[in-house]
Amino acid sequence: MLDRRAFLKLAATMTAAFGVGNLPDPVAAALNKLDPAQVPKLIYLQGMSCTGCSISLLQAESPSAATMITDYAQLVFHADLSAISGRGALEVIEQYLAGQAGEYFLAVEGAIPADMPEACVIGDKPFADYLLQAAATMTAAVAVGACACDGGVPAAEGNPTGAIGLQEFYNRHNVTKPVIQLRGCSVHPDWLWHTIVHLVKVGMPELEDGSPTLFYGRKVHELCPRYHDFQQEIFARKLGDKGCLFKLGCLGPDTYADCPTRWWNGGQTWCINANAPCIGCASPTFARRKDFPFYRIGEKNRRTTS
Amino acid sequence: MRIELGPVTRIEGHLNVRTTVEDNVVVDAQCMGEMFRGFEKILEGRDPLDAQQITQRICGVCPYAHAIASSYAQEQAYGLTPPANGRILHNLVQGANHLYDYLLHFYQLSALDFVDVTAILQYQGKDAGLRHLKSWVQAELASGKPYPAAPFLPRLSGTYLTDAQFNIGALKHYLEAMEIQKKANRAAAIFGGKFPHSTGVFPGGCPQEARIDLITAYQSLIREVREFIHQKYLPDVAAVAAAFPEYWRIGVSQGGFLSYGLLPRGPKVDSERLLAPGVLLDGEVRPVDFEAITQDVGRARYASGSGLTVRDSELRPAPQKQGAYTWIKAPRYQGRMVEVGPAARIMIDYAQNHNPTVRTLVDRFTKQFDIKPAQLNSVLGRHLSRAICAAVIADFLLSETERLDPGAPTMADINIPATAEGFGATEASRGALLHYLRIENHKIAKYECVVPTTWNCSPRDDKGTPGALESALIGTKVADPAEQIESVRIVHSFDPCIACSIH
Repeated sequence: MLDRRAFLKLAATMTAAFGVGNLPDPVAAALNKLDPAQVPKLIYLQGMSCTGCSISLLQAESPSAATMITDYAQLVFHADLSAISGRGALEVIEQYLAGQAGEYFLAVEGAIPADMPEACVIGDKPFADYLLQAAATMTAAVAVGACACDGGVPAAEGNPTGAIGLQEFYNRHNVTKPVIQLRGCSVHPDWLWHTIVHLVKVGMPELEDGSPTLFYGRKVHELCPRYHDFQQEIFARKLGDKGCLFKLGCLGPDTYADCPTRWWNGGQTWCINANAPCIGCASPTFARRKDFPFYRIGEKNRRTTS
Repeated sequence: MRIELGPVTRIEGHLNVRTTVEDNVVVDAQCMGEMFRGFEKILEGRDPLDAQQITQRICGVCPYAHAIASSYAQEQAYGLTPPANGRILHNLVQGANHLYDYLLHFYQLSALDFVDVTAILQYQGKDAGLRHLKSWVQAELASGKPYPAAPFLPRLSGTYLTDAQFNIGALKHYLEAMEIQKKANRAAAIFGGKFPHSTGVFPGGCPQEARIDLITAYQSLIREVREFIHQKYLPDVAAVAAAFPEYWRIGVSQGGFLSYGLLPRGPKVDSERLLAPGVLLDGEVRPVDFEAITQDVGRARYASGSGLTVRDSELRPAPQKQGAYTWIKAPRYQGRMVEVGPAARIMIDYAQNHNPTVRTLVDRFTKQFDIKPAQLNSVLGRHLSRAICAAVIADFLLSETERLDPGAPTMADINIPATAEGFGATEASRGALLHYLRIENHKIAKYECVVPTTWNCSPRDDKGTPGALESALIGTKVADPAEQIESVRIVHSFDPCIACSIH
């Protein structure tokens, strides 16, 4: 019987071998040699977002964000970087969405206000209209970060807009184009950029529930350098203590992400290395419920007074 | 003639600006914030410590500012004072975040308003990055694509810098700034856990240790950033100013100024700050009173009461409200419109003769450009004020690292009372940021944020007074009313963050 590691390896090989035929021509053509004329075009649109994922993408080290947008992808439009503004910007977006400027991938950062279209508008149209228009012409979509995947904080309990993620939005409108889910609040820059590199050089990465197993295959807890502390029951009792952070509320056991091996900000650090509990920002239920706090630090006070 | 400038790019978020132009002059402007999430509703009923994380998601460009403002508000509510190390770590995280934000704003968000990117085609030198950029632009332009060299082209029509050497130098710095901003964020993440959205900033300090290896890594990164600020950022701002001197008189807001002060020099939030707080009205600086702040919603899409104080604020969305043109509320100080941000910070500190480095730099540049300190209220003044802030903050951060006591505690013990309230005020890179928190039965009963761009991009208040950016746009001469690069430069000088302003 195949063990998990062997299975994943086989699956990746098979994806590499068989995924290519399904790719759009520009991607297939770019497999062996990066030709600037052939790299996939990205239209990057922001919905109910905080721009944190875009800022995170600028923190990429290797390749850098500048290399990514010149060598591995063409960033046709991004609200934070595009020189053009106003009507000219809308024209670029509309040309692609109308299918008149060639093939493209749609990258979406931010949630969609399903119950309140006025809560997110670009130009003179609700954000949702652009997504429906793109559904007919795009090759595939990439949901960048927690909000685009599952609604994120805008979809947390009590929200007034009915915020949802891109896959849910497309499900409700019977759109069946593939949506790659890159969770995280914010997304790790590698999770998007290396997905694109994978698309360009190898083909569609292996996905599980829409997310690349390359990044989201294991739980934070399983990979955590403090797993030994957990086994030895060496627990931090208050913030600033060393040891396993589980009793402070660490959500590593519920969160699929490779932060413990990938680290953040150029490999300098990551949350638990800074003695900060994982808040489960790559989990589909991130921040969702009011009665499920990030930390268990307030429990002692509630016990003593109630 | 009515012209909409939106979607305005190279800012944060969803901003449209509706202008009315007559005889090539902007005679009216309305700032339209077009994305609403309802954070205050999301926060109600949650564990108070959740605010530390939830409010950072208001803005992924300046999340640390929200983490700090929330920390201050919670510290007041919990009766908590961090150990000396704890406050210094807060400052190291927040200050480094300011540095990245200024560089990002000048190079990535603003430079393409002035710099001619096509000048790269004339490059003959040997710099690898520039040669690569040149060959990429050449290949793009020859490719026959509908939109070659995106996202740098197409661009707005207008007059760009003509000196090829300066353009090429600025493009090199554009690329370098993309690397340097990462170093500022790496420094912040050493104690903040990661960037964006820090998990390592809490009321009462940071759980990361004040370890000498971490301190040294932080210093090394900030020294590199400081070098860039002095060798490239300040000279580039000065060069743009020399080429576009008319922008000392363009984009002048017509109200007062407000700053909460930045970076306390001691564990207590009300310790003296690196940059002094104050409200500048009618040429006079007075102390800030949070009770003097009210928010009008006559022209904003809410059914809530208008003119409410921060403590009594409400949030009842009314997406189809007649006569409303934005989701941004209109905060006012004693009923007066004010500008917040880098120019307010510097002018208010300078007017109080507070920080000697601010005084030296303002005096040097006002002499160099033959302007008055009051002209920091302009497009160039805001750019220059950011660069001055950057220089002052970088020095302060390095001196703060020397005050850390390695091995001493960095975090106070947190106890959340059943009932409490607190205000937390700091300066985000974009200006005055206020959080208010009320706790009942150990849960958040009320949370209110009054955010920099809420002030700057506010609509008319109920008396009909325009917001700061609106007032700065009105009267602007525009060569091409359809594109208005002049207006876009004014908008960019405020560095709007719409996600922040509405939240």
